[in-house]
Amino acid sequence: MKIAAIAGITFKEAKRDRVLYLLFFFAALGIVAARVLAVLTVGDRIKIIKDVGLASISLFGVLMAILIGTGLVYKEIDKKTIFTLLAKPLHRAEFILGKFLGLVLTLCVMTLAMTLIFLAIVYAHTLRIETPLLVAVGFIFLELVLITAVAVLFSCFSTPILSSLFTLAFYLIGHLSWGLELIIRKMRPGAGRTLVRGLYAFLPDLENFNFKTEVVHGLPIPAGIYLSSFLYGVCYTAFILGLAVLVFRRRDFI
Amino acid sequence: MKTPLFRKGSAAALLVAFLLASAGAFVALKAATDRIVRGKQPGASIIYVPSGKFLKYATFGYRALAADLLYLWAIQYYSTPTIDDRFDHLDHIFAIINELDPRFQDPYEVGALIAVQEARDLRAAFAILDRGAANNPDQWVYPFNAGHVALMTVKDYPLAEKYFEQTMKIPGAPDFVERLRANAMFKKGDLETSWQTWLDIYKRAPDERTKRIASNHLYNVKATIDGKALEAAAAKYRDRFGRFPADLETLVRTGFASELPKDLDGNDYLYDAATGKARTVTSPWKR
Amino acid sequence: MSDAIRIRDLRKNFRLGFIPKTRPVLKGITFSVREGEIFGYLGPNGAGKTTTIKCLLGLIRPDAGTVDIFGRSSLSPRSRETLGFLPENPYFYDYLTAREFLAFTADLFGLARRDKAERIARLLKLVGLERAADLPLRKYSRGMLQRAGLAQALINDPKLVILDEPLGGMDPLGRKEIRDIIVRFKDEGKTVFFTSHILQDIEMICDRVAIIVGGRIVREGALRDLVSEKVLFTEVTVSGIAAEVFGDLGESLSVQGDRVLLRVFGEAKVDEVLDLVRDRRGRLVSLSPRTETLEDIFVETVTRT
Repeated sequence: MKIAAIAGITFKEAKRDRVLYLLFFFAALGIVAARVLAVLTVGDRIKIIKDVGLASISLFGVLMAILIGTGLVYKEIDKKTIFTLLAKPLHRAEFILGKFLGLVLTLCVMTLAMTLIFLAIVYAHTLRIETPLLVAVGFIFLELVLITAVAVLFSCFSTPILSSLFTLAFYLIGHLSWGLELIIRKMRPGAGRTLVRGLYAFLPDLENFNFKTEVVHGLPIPAGIYLSSFLYGVCYTAFILGLAVLVFRRRDFI
Repeated sequence: MKTPLFRKGSAAALLVAFLLASAGAFVALKAATDRIVRGKQPGASIIYVPSGKFLKYATFGYRALAADLLYLWAIQYYSTPTIDDRFDHLDHIFAIINELDPRFQDPYEVGALIAVQEARDLRAAFAILDRGAANNPDQWVYPFNAGHVALMTVKDYPLAEKYFEQTMKIPGAPDFVERLRANAMFKKGDLETSWQTWLDIYKRAPDERTKRIASNHLYNVKATIDGKALEAAAAKYRDRFGRFPADLETLVRTGFASELPKDLDGNDYLYDAATGKARTVTSPWKR
Repeated sequence: MSDAIRIRDLRKNFRLGFIPKTRPVLKGITFSVREGEIFGYLGPNGAGKTTTIKCLLGLIRPDAGTVDIFGRSSLSPRSRETLGFLPENPYFYDYLTAREFLAFTADLFGLARRDKAERIARLLKLVGLERAADLPLRKYSRGMLQRAGLAQALINDPKLVILDEPLGGMDPLGRKEIRDIIVRFKDEGKTVFFTSHILQDIEMICDRVAIIVGGRIVREGALRDLVSEKVLFTEVTVSGIAAEVFGDLGESLSVQGDRVLLRVFGEAKVDEVLDLVRDRRGRLVSLSPRTETLEDIFVETVTRT
């Protein structure tokens, strides 16, 4: 399968990127530091470990997705390897999907590695493997997948630095969506409110994938939200990839 | 031979259709997800931050801004009646805001207000106001508000007196704080000091009104002192003779009191033989 | 015999700069390449050769006109199934080995697994990269990269091979190798389309050529037809006779020892010179008729436009 072939070489290339291992090192450091930090706290140590651990996986995962994702397509264009590649019987959509899946595969491996370290440290403390933690990590990964798609989209038409900034902006907007909701509640009905409502519905809500607080503090999670959030992530990712294909199709490689 | 235009057109149309479908799907899914009530409130992760100190470092120098945003969020949070347990972490949240920006005045007052009026958590109220006083030693409102709460809500008169005294030390504190303190002292039961204080206020009174207020309080204090002395004497009489005396002169005659005090206006006190209690001719406040 | 390539009225403008300024690059290109022939595409730098190739490969979308490869539009990926492309510079993934790179390329063509290994081995042998097959491409020399590029262009046994400046920067031996390879392609029934600056090579192997100048095709046709067999002049080298003797029969180009090199215009004058040599008992060292070369045509065309 052609998409698989491209995903394969993308994985090979991403594997070689030193940034990946640097970020992984800091993530591992963060998770271990949680263990050390926990010594300073008064009260339940395990909460600090879980909090910092999940935050590390999330933060460094996002950085990996952004830093590598924004270079994915740009590098091919810059180094002109895209000429040889697109001279083959390949749909441009297959190229985009292949690149995307290759990076997702890379992130999957890195997330698994970070999670193993995290679970090991939690296990050392509690002698238990807690499934809710896996759920939280699973949804962190879904968020990473969406961020990767956004990074690939921007990589299709922008330099890595600008793409990184745009993707970061997407991430921040995604986590502040609830602020819009608060504003909507205070607004009077009218054109302004409809506009903000539309924005609220359309802009990403990354908090839908954030189960860190609930998992760490043992709050109940309603069952319906798993499917709902998962499908939301899938649909939004599909939409972003569709945009990327749309942009990439018309592009001339001069 | 397929014409390129047709192929190009249909592929693009398919793509646009796909984009619209996926966009519609995620908008619908978001609405569905919003309807599901989650255990945590958005933005409420702040509750689980261990302390403001940690956040101070994490906000990289944008502490005041973080305090503002957090305060704005807190206002929305506390004005949402559907969140049942919103008062559980009242002091914690406001402590973080205060820690981030110790000079941000509104949160102290509003936090204490919420604590007293809505949460009915007086410990939190005092904690917030004490913090306000500690971080802003030039602001008299904080110990003043604390004194007020102590006086009216808790009815802890020694505590109220302490707070009013603290308030008086701050330059710019209004005059009436002095009077509140004196009143707290009286309520506390420290009649002597209360008398001295009111006398002092009377002597220093800058206007007629203040003079009259002080005078009324002096009357009240004297009446209380005198009344206590008379009632103590009457009680002693009763211990001796098995019943209260018929009138106050009896006490003098039988040697249980050396002389009969008069009220500040020079009137006698009224006496009720059945209960052995003395009272004033007129109310202290209607002289 | 169908057309391997059929381009009709191809137009392309580039929009460059922050405030887009439109620059026309291809102004209505029309030509065809017949199946089984070797076609040379020449033009000065900036004429639009590479842009034409990119339109052929679907890398650039034409503003107008049609570009068909074996009847399929260049906009469709399927048109590239029987196509092999060797770029001017090696734009390959330098972290892959040659073998991995060829395997990846084979996957892009959807080659069956059992064909893949055998074909890769055969191609590596063909281009002489067997021993270096498992070294990463970044360790390759320029010549080796060129050979790897050739291998990836042939992985799908294409019917049409497109080469962008395949002879550039090579020594004479290398150029001969490439020429031989191209001729071999033709023998195998493949069609070859390539661009080049080196006109002598084009002259040697091409069946047809097109000259593009300023975004337009200015000459097109069989080489044989473009380059007439007309003799421009004859260079005659004579010994034993002084240059002045010839008078105005020919232009004296050089005198070395007792050898005189003359440039003689016209067959009649050549006969007269030969008579003179015989009469004066001189010796004819060499006689070379100089016909019109492609270079002559090229220079004339370009300067005229």
